[in-house]
Amino acid sequence: MTTRTCGAAAFAVAAAVACNKGLEPALAPTSCPQGFVGVCGTVSFVGQVPESTARVFVVAFDTFPKSQNDLFKFKPQPTPPNLPLGGPAFFYTLPLPPARYEWVLAVWQKQGTLSPTNADSLLRETGFYRDKGDTTAHGSGIVIVNAGTGKDSIDFVVDFNNMHRVCYYFPPCP
Amino acid sequence: MRQLALPAAAVCLWGQVLGAQDAVVYGTVHGESVGPLRSAEVVVLGPNLGTLTDRGGHYRLSRVSPGVVIVRARFLGYVPAFDTVRVAAGDSVEANFVLRPSVTDGLPFVVVGPVVVTAAKRSQLLDQAITSVAVVSDTELARRAVNTVDEAVDKAPGVQFLYGQVNIRGSTGYVQGLGSRVLMLVDGVPANQGDRGGINWDLVPLEEVQRVEIVKGAGSSLYGSAALGGVVNVLTRDIAPGFHARVRASGGSYANPPHDVWKFRDYTGAEEGLDATGSYGTELVRASVTGGGWHSDGYREQDRRDHWQTAAKLDWRPLAATRLTASGSWASDQYETPLIWCTRGGCDDRGQAYQPFMIDTAGRGAFTRSDKGYVSATLERTASARFAWQARGSWLRTRFSDYQPGNDDAGIANRFGAELRALAHPAEGRVVTVGAEGARSDVASDIFGDHSQNEVAAYGESEQRVGRARLTAGARIDYIAVDGGGLSAVVSPRVGAVLETSAGAWRASAGRGFRGPSLAERFVSTIVSGLVVIPNPDLHPETAWSLELGNAARISPSVHVDAALFWTEAHDLIEPNVNLGTGQIQFRNVARARLAGLDLSLSATPLTPRLTTALAYTFLYARGLAHDTVPERPLAFRPKHLLTLSADYQWHTVSAGGDFRYTSRFERVELYPGDERVAGKVLDLRVGVERGPLSVRGRLANALNYIYNQVPRTLAPVRTLSVTLTWTY
Repeated sequence: MTTRTCGAAAFAVAAAVACNKGLEPALAPTSCPQGFVGVCGTVSFVGQVPESTARVFVVAFDTFPKSQNDLFKFKPQPTPPNLPLGGPAFFYTLPLPPARYEWVLAVWQKQGTLSPTNADSLLRETGFYRDKGDTTAHGSGIVIVNAGTGKDSIDFVVDFNNMHRVCYYFPPCP
Repeated sequence: MRQLALPAAAVCLWGQVLGAQDAVVYGTVHGESVGPLRSAEVVVLGPNLGTLTDRGGHYRLSRVSPGVVIVRARFLGYVPAFDTVRVAAGDSVEANFVLRPSVTDGLPFVVVGPVVVTAAKRSQLLDQAITSVAVVSDTELARRAVNTVDEAVDKAPGVQFLYGQVNIRGSTGYVQGLGSRVLMLVDGVPANQGDRGGINWDLVPLEEVQRVEIVKGAGSSLYGSAALGGVVNVLTRDIAPGFHARVRASGGSYANPPHDVWKFRDYTGAEEGLDATGSYGTELVRASVTGGGWHSDGYREQDRRDHWQTAAKLDWRPLAATRLTASGSWASDQYETPLIWCTRGGCDDRGQAYQPFMIDTAGRGAFTRSDKGYVSATLERTASARFAWQARGSWLRTRFSDYQPGNDDAGIANRFGAELRALAHPAEGRVVTVGAEGARSDVASDIFGDHSQNEVAAYGESEQRVGRARLTAGARIDYIAVDGGGLSAVVSPRVGAVLETSAGAWRASAGRGFRGPSLAERFVSTIVSGLVVIPNPDLHPETAWSLELGNAARISPSVHVDAALFWTEAHDLIEPNVNLGTGQIQFRNVARARLAGLDLSLSATPLTPRLTTALAYTFLYARGLAHDTVPERPLAFRPKHLLTLSADYQWHTVSAGGDFRYTSRFERVELYPGDERVAGKVLDLRVGVERGPLSVRGRLANALNYIYNQVPRTLAPVRTLSVTLTWTY
């Protein structure tokens, strides 16, 4: 075998070996992963998931919405991560840019096409993070996300028996 | 018989050979030491008068215009041969060819580069084009044993497909099918969708494709809107005289996930297809019909697809210098829409952070039906030795229905086009191309509304030979009116030069490209993730200046190199703008961008002439420049390095080969920037055997079952084994 043939063969083998590393299974984290920026925590579930459920997801607001128009200022955009529809306690991760957040909550979404005009009928608040000792209606759960790190232990309960419409926060309800 | 190297200028001679009476060129085509070659292609260059040989290797080209003509004979696996013959009016001239296998030792003659028709809207030798052109030949199409045009073009130098969206030197990135910055042509006829401006790569059955030409860089000076980043011209087959048929059957299977925790079904996914082509032709009229379809289980959850297609072509040559070609196709796809893959909590995640083979439950049941078809007719007339013209009309129609739980969308779009083009040789060494083009697009859709757009354009380009140099200058002006409103004009000039030296052919060009906003981008009105997408009728065209300096050289009898430096400055790019304050998304002219880099391709026959190898490398610097409050940053979905290595070995009727494609990890992506992402490293292997009318080709795509994604949360194809059996009559 000539030197050139050997070189070609070696190159082919090296290329083949180099190929064999792509995406691989990754266990869901149980704490904020290293290098992750955002909030993490455990969500536990109470109640029966309604049949009309489209999905349940978790979002954050840097300031508590002052009107219905502020409801779409959530993060992360455009698609926040889903939560499972019930079952055992679930560890979630919510990627967020470094900032101060006033409201981290789970949102239940009913089947149908969502728009700002029908948010009240298709969306429900179904659980949120609150500071210990907080007794306010919407909860006071200040979370500071720092650059380069994740904020752990932002735990809360999703209660499918106790969900609140948008108009609960911005009355009156029709 | 003479086998000649073509002088560089010879390709233009066809225009000087016209007379009042026809002549005939006839003869045979043999393969060296194998006897007559059946179905070898014999063409008179220039007027594109061609035929195929019969079983005895005989051919006959009647209606040849008197004068000096260049005849080319070629056949898969053989080096093309050329002959220059002089024919008198009413005379017959014999020209016989003996083709040498492309793998024999020592090539005793110069192999002339291919002729291309896209770079200047006329026939010219590849080395005489002022911009870079990549050609995917019929040999490569057959060798790769692929099923669709995009699979065939995917490995071309500097070209990258992102989930069906073509990028030439990073032109488009990934914009989910809305607004391609590459123009697709079918036999020179624009075929981008009338509503979204995207490309249906399955519009033309691969069986009908003769070759594909890819022109890189701004091509708007000849082609207008959408040719901002380049042009892909799909050229369909010529029809041979006599009766011919071809049946192609294919079958294959998809690899299962490489890890048990990713398994999503209890069976092995398969794909199978069947198509047939029949043609009949005389010297006067020729016609062909193709029909077929395929089914695929897909390689991931909710990924089944059925595809049906038919195509037809008619070629009528009533006079020696007159040719009427009409063609059309229709294709229908019904496919499940996998949307994005499932992340923790979105499906039965089995404790995994993500499940790349499964989809999120929110996307369950999504389904799309997509129909598309076109008809076109072209009349070509070579009026004199110095003047030829052609006129064409076309109609492209697309229809889609997206069925998603609680959110169905549908749309029908048309694009009518017409063009009148003239080619003149007013003086020695000068070629002038002028033309006028018009198009009307309309859409009726629940998300795009009912709208129309009219475009009219005029263009001209002149090439002058000065010594060893060819200087080119031209421009096009496009007028665009939306919904009958006021006209907006865009001017796209281009200048270039080619200089033939002992160090190869140097080329340089500078041109302006543009893309008018699609009707979808202007008028889309829908809801995405709860955010309202609102229309923006005030969008204006995005533009770009492209510069290129390149060299093509044969540095030894067995090594050919083509290298190009390119630089593109883009303005007013149309991108979606998200306003969280209002909860709205709107397409706006916002970004400025710079795309610069190096394109290098090298082909060689090292070690042994039976082995052909190729290397294609693109270095890309793609930056969105700072604007408003947005700092300079990498453009999303553009790889810095794109490398393709190819090798093929042929031994008599058996061939084997492969491609390795490396795509560097994207510096920036959109939608899910926090997701893990990896470089693309894909090895494709192939093998083929031909015996008489039968050929069998096997293909193992992504042979190492490398698991990766290039667009957000969308798994790229896994290892796929396919076998294609072709019978030709």
